[in-house]
Amino acid sequence: MRRYGPRVFRVASRFFRERSMVEDAAQEVFLKVFTELRKYEGRGSMEGWITRITTNICLNLLRSAKRRPQLTASELTEAESSWLDTTLARAATERHRSSERSFVAADLAQRVLETLSPDDRLVLTMIDGDDSSVKDVVEATGWSESKIKVLAFRARRRMREAVERLLGRGHAAENAGN
Amino acid sequence: MLPKTRGTNMKDEHIISLVESKRFAGLAESERAEISSHAAACESCRRAFEAVDVSSLLLKARVNEEFEPSPFFQTRVLALLRERQAANEKWAWSRLWRTAGGLATSMVATVATLAVLTFVIPGAQAPDSPNSAAVVNAYSTDAVVLDAATPRDDQISDSDVLATLYDADNEVVK
Repeated sequence: MRRYGPRVFRVASRFFRERSMVEDAAQEVFLKVFTELRKYEGRGSMEGWITRITTNICLNLLRSAKRRPQLTASELTEAESSWLDTTLARAATERHRSSERSFVAADLAQRVLETLSPDDRLVLTMIDGDDSSVKDVVEATGWSESKIKVLAFRARRRMREAVERLLGRGHAAENAGN
Repeated sequence: MLPKTRGTNMKDEHIISLVESKRFAGLAESERAEISSHAAACESCRRAFEAVDVSSLLLKARVNEEFEPSPFFQTRVLALLRERQAANEKWAWSRLWRTAGGLATSMVATVATLAVLTFVIPGAQAPDSPNSAAVVNAYSTDAVVLDAATPRDDQISDSDVLATLYDADNEVVK
């Protein structure tokens, strides 16, 4: 548990933002690992096996949770609106880059991701967020490469559309100001 | 959605599909420059490009958040594991007990059935059994060899009947 705990928590953190949910998922992972250790055939690495268990458990937990249909600009908090405004105003500047690690950005990201399906969310966070390769996603999920590429393409489009809707609010505000 | 074919001259083509076909961070500098120059003249692509840029930043911000296991996480998992193992053992014993109970019940039922068949039903058929035994054994080797010439006790021959009648008449005459 000491050896693979960080890995399990890192993967589960991609899916959930609340610590309690991450710990619940990690707990289920280790319980399953302990009870199904006999099924590990030693074909791949132990870390890969545990990563796949973690991914599947997190996906199932996400699938059982209710998904938000759409995030509208009116639902944004003041801090999130401010972050969006700042991001738009200072695009491609160093200050912009330094703010990407902010809590607000992560919170907004989570809210946007919650409007996507669990599969879309997984592919986006792994490939676009974590810079994982398609093969890494194949190893973690067991899906085919073509499926992952199609999912990634669609997920990017949905994410872009969701963000564009939020940015539309920013543009509307800019136009109103002018 | 706007159509797009990836070509050398991007000024007259929309870049939406391009930015969706690969991750934003994976775009080459030349591709970014072309996209930027196209986006400067195309409002819809500019918005799409901005949205993709923001999406990329959001995703990076999201994956940078990580949790460390709490100090009691390991203890909690091990305790839960022991609890589940104990529950599984208890369940296994109760299942074994239920199975054994069912087996014992069926064994008792079988013994009772056999007892009824052995002691009750043969008693009710007792009067018929000798005849049936005789019928069954009439052609056996023993019956044919040893008992064929010996009349049975309940069989009276004609000569016995005549002798009895004549003896009775003689006594009357005397």
